[in-house]
Amino acid sequence: MNRTTRLCAAVLSGALLGLSAACGGGTGGSGDGELVYRTWDEQQKKGLEKVMAAFEKKNPGIKVKIELLPWDQYWTKLTADVVAGTAPDVFWMSVPQFPEFVTKGVLADVSDVVKDPSQYNKNVVQSYTYKGKLYGVPKDWGAVGLLYNKDLFKKAGVEMPEKLTWAPDGSGTFLPLLRKLTVDESGKHPGESGFNAKQVKNWGFASWNHYQTQWMNWMVSNGGKITDKPFGKFAFNGPKEVEALKWGVDLINKWKVSPPAAQTNPPSAQATEMFQRGQVAIFPANNALLPFVQPEANFKIGAAAMPEGPAGRAVNINGLSEAVYAKSKHPEEAKKLARFLATPAAQKIMGEDGYVFPALTSLNHTYVDYWKKKGIDVQPYVEESEGKTFNLPIVSGFSAAEKGLNQNMNSVYLGRTSPQDGADKAVQDGNAKLK
Amino acid sequence: MKTTTIAKPRETAPDTTGPAPAKRRRKLNLTPYLFLAPSLFGVLAFLLLPVAIVAVVSLFKWELLDSPTFIGLENYRKLAGDGDVRHSLWVTVLYVLLSIPVQTVIALGLALLLNQKIRGVKFFRALFVVPWMATPIVMGVVWTWIFDPANGALNKFLGVFGVDGPNWLSDTAFALPAVAAVQVWQYAGYNMLFFLAGLQGIPGELYDAADTDGASKLRQFVHITLPLLNPTMFFVLVTNIIGSFQVYDTLYVMTEGGPDKSTEVLNFRIVQTAFQEFDFGYASAMAMLLFALILVFTVVQVRFFNRRTTYDIS
Repeated sequence: MNRTTRLCAAVLSGALLGLSAACGGGTGGSGDGELVYRTWDEQQKKGLEKVMAAFEKKNPGIKVKIELLPWDQYWTKLTADVVAGTAPDVFWMSVPQFPEFVTKGVLADVSDVVKDPSQYNKNVVQSYTYKGKLYGVPKDWGAVGLLYNKDLFKKAGVEMPEKLTWAPDGSGTFLPLLRKLTVDESGKHPGESGFNAKQVKNWGFASWNHYQTQWMNWMVSNGGKITDKPFGKFAFNGPKEVEALKWGVDLINKWKVSPPAAQTNPPSAQATEMFQRGQVAIFPANNALLPFVQPEANFKIGAAAMPEGPAGRAVNINGLSEAVYAKSKHPEEAKKLARFLATPAAQKIMGEDGYVFPALTSLNHTYVDYWKKKGIDVQPYVEESEGKTFNLPIVSGFSAAEKGLNQNMNSVYLGRTSPQDGADKAVQDGNAKLK
Repeated sequence: MKTTTIAKPRETAPDTTGPAPAKRRRKLNLTPYLFLAPSLFGVLAFLLLPVAIVAVVSLFKWELLDSPTFIGLENYRKLAGDGDVRHSLWVTVLYVLLSIPVQTVIALGLALLLNQKIRGVKFFRALFVVPWMATPIVMGVVWTWIFDPANGALNKFLGVFGVDGPNWLSDTAFALPAVAAVQVWQYAGYNMLFFLAGLQGIPGELYDAADTDGASKLRQFVHITLPLLNPTMFFVLVTNIIGSFQVYDTLYVMTEGGPDKSTEVLNFRIVQTAFQEFDFGYASAMAMLLFALILVFTVVQVRFFNRRTTYDIS
């Protein structure tokens, strides 16, 4: 092979790097009587092993193999496996990805194995319902609430009140609390003369571009909406939504109670780390973050409900389901596993070990008990889930739209684009990618 | 590499040990082909076949979970009018221009410095190669911390001199240069190795002779070192420019193409289109475009270096 050919080969290989990954074959198919169950969560794998062991004990002759794929590869690989017809028998499904898969007939109807959907968290059931049928066993739920640094509260001499309120104009009890918790190197608070936003020791809050825990919650709790209807289009650029978005940005650029977006914008987002390091007092987070934050934090963590906006409190609830592959080679066994995963026996294990709130709401206490032992009272999350809640957008093509949403909102949080223009552009770019 | 000629590769090496050429020509000797087979298989299966597949896929409308439909050159027509793609092309070229010249000059400078007899030279040579050994993803994360506008090491350092550092990764003016700087940092030391090897292949007598003739160090560099480094320069430039065109991992960690698409290189669009939007046909057309672009750049370089005299000093 001469030099030119070799160069051409090198060039070719490069151009293809990205796409050749798609040619990988599936590993989903398996031997007789062995089911494959796929997850992306390394932490939960231990709990899942217990669940599968319990299932195997009850169903001699059926073995379950747990496959762990990192999040970054999960959806790519799953899609490739579906194309090849070798997807795993049972696999994790998330709300944003659900419409794409269910409309293409990849998921099996599990209405027959989940007998009474009303016993499960209603948001999760809604999220995985398509044309009146359930396409996934509700696995768990998590809500957005406030995690807070009790040490910083003590230092500032304040307590977390029972109830907090916010409004777009800055009225309500939330903003004054954040002002008290924000303190610069010389001990001054925002609003006081001489306060230096460039030399802040502790921030009261972290307002940042994270749709699930931030701006979507403000929008709905201001009486706005995210999409026009399930399987519809984005519609968060009306006056109520823009007002709420502006509130999120004002917390940073106007009221100076939150670190600048240059530090917190994804993908280099440092907001979670700043809370973990003790630089941020109040941090809105899904309770699923607890197992990651709690062991790292060298301060006492408290949990509280999100503040109430003009339209009351509205929090995002997100949950996973365990989907059954419609073309599984072991449909009987896969359904059997699905039926077991829906039972209290299976769901209790995941709650008792503190991984997640089980989707079966009667088991909420198992998760609460676990975290009580760890010193964190997560009851506010349960109360939130019983109030006004909303789902992540159920639109077909969310993964394609997500980047446009994030990029436009990054600009808004930086203050480079006005909330109205940013929301208009995000809706426009987002809808252009939907199917 | 130090003795390879680029301009005129030797036609055939004179064979003094084997049987007479006339005799050998009569029957086909399979042995060399057998030895070639494994790498030939690799090239076919992992290079040429995927290229062919991508070329074919680019003629289809294929959203992964649907079945493909043949649409001829429709994807390419779409490419021609796609403002996002044009923007990405520009960003890609800009990235190459920002990274390659600086990286090459630093690599050559380091090689010249470390080609001297100084104490601990081996230690320094190793030290500068260390960045290359790190995973780009990990590097990206670490540099993200360094570039953090408030807590980052870089702005803290600038602050010592009273300079108010910019928001590196969230400022459209600084994000691309910042990511390019990470590449320079990561690959300059590695490329230094090639230059070092090239420098050590230059016979010392040439410099002795130049000294005798009274040529200055600068003249020696321009008229001896640089021309004799031609093959190395060719290799370093070609491989690095190809690598720069394909940058993805550091950008993925540090900017995700932002802010405002200011770092959205073509590779990023390809991955986004293929794996987030699942539009494989269109992504394949973009990959063919990137391929063509790299090919053009490489051919231009081959032409350029071919026109220059190359010295065989073996």
